[in-house]
Amino acid sequence: MAKVLIPTPLRQFTDKQDAVIAAGSTVGEVLGALTAQFPALRNNLYNAEGKLRSFVNVYVNDEDIRYLDKDATAVKDSDTLSIVPSIAGGRS
Amino acid sequence: MIKIEPAAWTVMVQHAESTFPNECCGVMFGPSGETKTVVEAMPLANTYTGPQEDRYEISPEDLLRAERHARQNGFDLIGIFHSHPDCDAYFSKTDLENSCPWYSFVVLSIKGGRFDHANSFLPNADQTAADKEPLEFPESNG
Ligand SMILES: [Zn+2]
Repeated sequence: MAKVLIPTPLRQFTDKQDAVIAAGSTVGEVLGALTAQFPALRNNLYNAEGKLRSFVNVYVNDEDIRYLDKDATAVKDSDTLSIVPSIAGGRS
Repeated sequence: MIKIEPAAWTVMVQHAESTFPNECCGVMFGPSGETKTVVEAMPLANTYTGPQEDRYEISPEDLLRAERHARQNGFDLIGIFHSHPDCDAYFSKTDLENSCPWYSFVVLSIKGGRFDHANSFLPNADQTAADKEPLEFPESNG
């Protein structure tokens, strides 16, 4: 059971909870349990093909899962997952 | 509707003017609730590695720190701001394609090094369109 920190704009989909405890031994499993518990979150995190949206980054503690094992990154009970968007832009 | 309080607005305008002719970026904090009110703005590093006159990028690590700062202070990260040097405050194709629908995006137009005007936008989840959001900020920017 890892802890997932919920960014402010997504708390409307988690009954206003700012952190949710979800089961799973990998990042994919924890996010699966989280979105099973709160189905409205799914659309915000995943696109129609079921892939994490391009602007969604997931951190296990202080590590970006892209540089670990992505969805298969192992999660321990003491771990905290954070959902962090990618943001960039430019005038043209 | 998003309203920016004077202290936060001063930080945003000063950051945008002092980084001219490059684009700048940062985050905005406020209490959660029905109306979005920005009570604190925090400049962040533009981490885009090419020329920064027409691009900006926020590192996820900085956003993670900003989110933690908000949690510790009992308020929320409600928006992102960036500047458009010598160009109007529209939401460009690049802005849209690299946006996130969870936040308000305030764009400050800086012309000749001075603040000119600003707009706020709410991009959709598919990064295909952004609605303009009513924006209120202090007349005088200090
Ligand atoms: Zn822009």
